[in-house]
Amino acid sequence: MQTPETVQTKPNGPVAAVFLAAGIGSFVMGLMVVLAVISADINNFLKFDANFGLGSGVGPLSGKGIMAILAFLLSWVVLHLALRGKEVKFGTFLVIALALVAGGFLLTFPPVFEIFHAE
Amino acid sequence: MELTGKELWTLIHGMGLGAVFLLAFGGGMAGLWSLRSRLVTEEGIAERTPRLLIGTAVMAVVAWFTVIVGTWIVYPWYRAAPPEGLDRAVQSDALKEFPRYWLLAGERTAEWHQFGMEWKEHVAFLAPFLATAVAVAVIYYGGTLIHRGDVRRGMLVFFTLAFASAGIAGLFGALITKAAPII
Repeated sequence: MQTPETVQTKPNGPVAAVFLAAGIGSFVMGLMVVLAVISADINNFLKFDANFGLGSGVGPLSGKGIMAILAFLLSWVVLHLALRGKEVKFGTFLVIALALVAGGFLLTFPPVFEIFHAE
Repeated sequence: MELTGKELWTLIHGMGLGAVFLLAFGGGMAGLWSLRSRLVTEEGIAERTPRLLIGTAVMAVVAWFTVIVGTWIVYPWYRAAPPEGLDRAVQSDALKEFPRYWLLAGERTAEWHQFGMEWKEHVAFLAPFLATAVAVAVIYYGGTLIHRGDVRRGMLVFFTLAFASAGIAGLFGALITKAAPII
């Protein structure tokens, strides 16, 4: 009888890739929020609705969201290509991904990103 | 009794997609939690894997739809600017059509925007990323996920965080809508 430890399953690389990509997307969202607070130029650039016609009346949130989505999708593709067919230390990837997600949560929390407001 | 177009979209965003998200989370969480070899037989795995797949996939798809509808359809109505000449410092009936400005005009309501909406509009974006990662893991492993305890535990954490980010957004969305509905 096969025990759970002896059962062969598919390599975990592709799953580690999407977990890390989710962490990267989350962190980039937080980063965009902070950058928009720090710099008026970046805040204006992030108005993708006005600058690139991606929506109407959304303001800088359109750019923050699209940048985070692009970071998630692009990093997912790159990591997937790098890790497909490989067995990796999932715990290490999970810890890094969770640290990035924690960064995303932290940097989207108003009392935190308001610290970066230029006086 | 009728709903305006704006109210209907707000309802779809908050109550419709939000309710489906909650249901999918409940089903997916229960499935993931109990997916251990000492708790289920081979027949049990085969029986519950499709349900787990549907629960996590629906949660991911709904999370994406909720964020997209919320950001690109509902949010512009919330942040629409009042015309020149309308006093932005007084919570008048006319200003009520511009929820963001109505909230900011009141000392007791300004925090709903400055804290509540500012947090909600950003943190919500984390939910689809996290939920997608979980759904992809279920699609990839299927029933063999039961033999990957390391991945399954990570999925439980991500699934809970996806729910937390959506929960924060949903809670503040409901409270802000109560304070300053989009009309």
